[in-house]
Amino acid sequence: MSTIEKVSQLSHRIFNTTLNEKNVRRSSNPFANFQKNVLNADVLELSSKKDAGVVGNISQSTKRIYSTFVGSINDFGRRFYEGIESIKEFGHRMKEGMVAAWNKVCEIGNTEIHLGEGIKNGYNAVKEALAVDMGKLFKSREKEIARMAKLDPHTEVKPMLVDSLKALEEEIAVAA
Amino acid sequence: METTIKSSKNYMKVSDIIDSLTINPSPDAVAVLEEIGTNSSIDEIREMTALALVKRNEPASLSVVISHRGKGINDMSTVVAMSTINCLLSLEDKQEAMSVLERTISGEEFEEEVRENARAVKALMALS
Repeated sequence: MSTIEKVSQLSHRIFNTTLNEKNVRRSSNPFANFQKNVLNADVLELSSKKDAGVVGNISQSTKRIYSTFVGSINDFGRRFYEGIESIKEFGHRMKEGMVAAWNKVCEIGNTEIHLGEGIKNGYNAVKEALAVDMGKLFKSREKEIARMAKLDPHTEVKPMLVDSLKALEEEIAVAA
Repeated sequence: METTIKSSKNYMKVSDIIDSLTINPSPDAVAVLEEIGTNSSIDEIREMTALALVKRNEPASLSVVISHRGKGINDMSTVVAMSTINCLLSLEDKQEAMSVLERTISGEEFEEEVRENARAVKALMALS
């Protein structure tokens, strides 16, 4: 090939870029564009007889193995991505767990307050019940006193007082 | 001990009976209080009886706690005597109590100790 022809081919390649674009469009392999170097064909497909010396001896089964390897690389990437995603998910779950734990602590704190309020309410309920009972007791005592006030002091009240005092003195003697 | 007595059922019964005798309109109620209550061996009962007699605010009942030796303001127990004096001082109508005190102070039939106590109480009631 003469020098003129070489220059002509070079100029043809420089100024006629549509040919290269066509080659790029024809490439179906995602690895075809590798570090900004456009590959004309699939990685394992020979684009010309010139390259046959490099991978010419690769059999179909070896190609399959390499394809599997490449696929496994892709799969590894996907697994790696999934792993990262699972780590992110784990972190998210951890975060949610921490938040849930904190909320639980706050809830326990509030529960304690509620417990205190419950005790207070219970105390008030008991107090009210006792107040009612004490009120009834006082009313019954007042009724009894009013009833005894109408009795004859000598014949009716005096024996009652003597008996009650005797019982009280005995009780005190036993306690002492 | 005192808390145990006051929380007992028999004490409550005695207290109710004495309260009923406090408001009993019969003059015999004073005699029962004097005979049974003021002669009790229990200080709390004597104190309760003395207060009941003061609250009746009658010449007969006030005479028991002012003029009788060993009862009311003349009780051997300081608690009973002071409690009776305090109740006399807190009376809204002190006219009957002052009359009894004056009769006791001027009465020749009463012991000097009783008259001295009546004089002291009268001075306190005049100041109150």
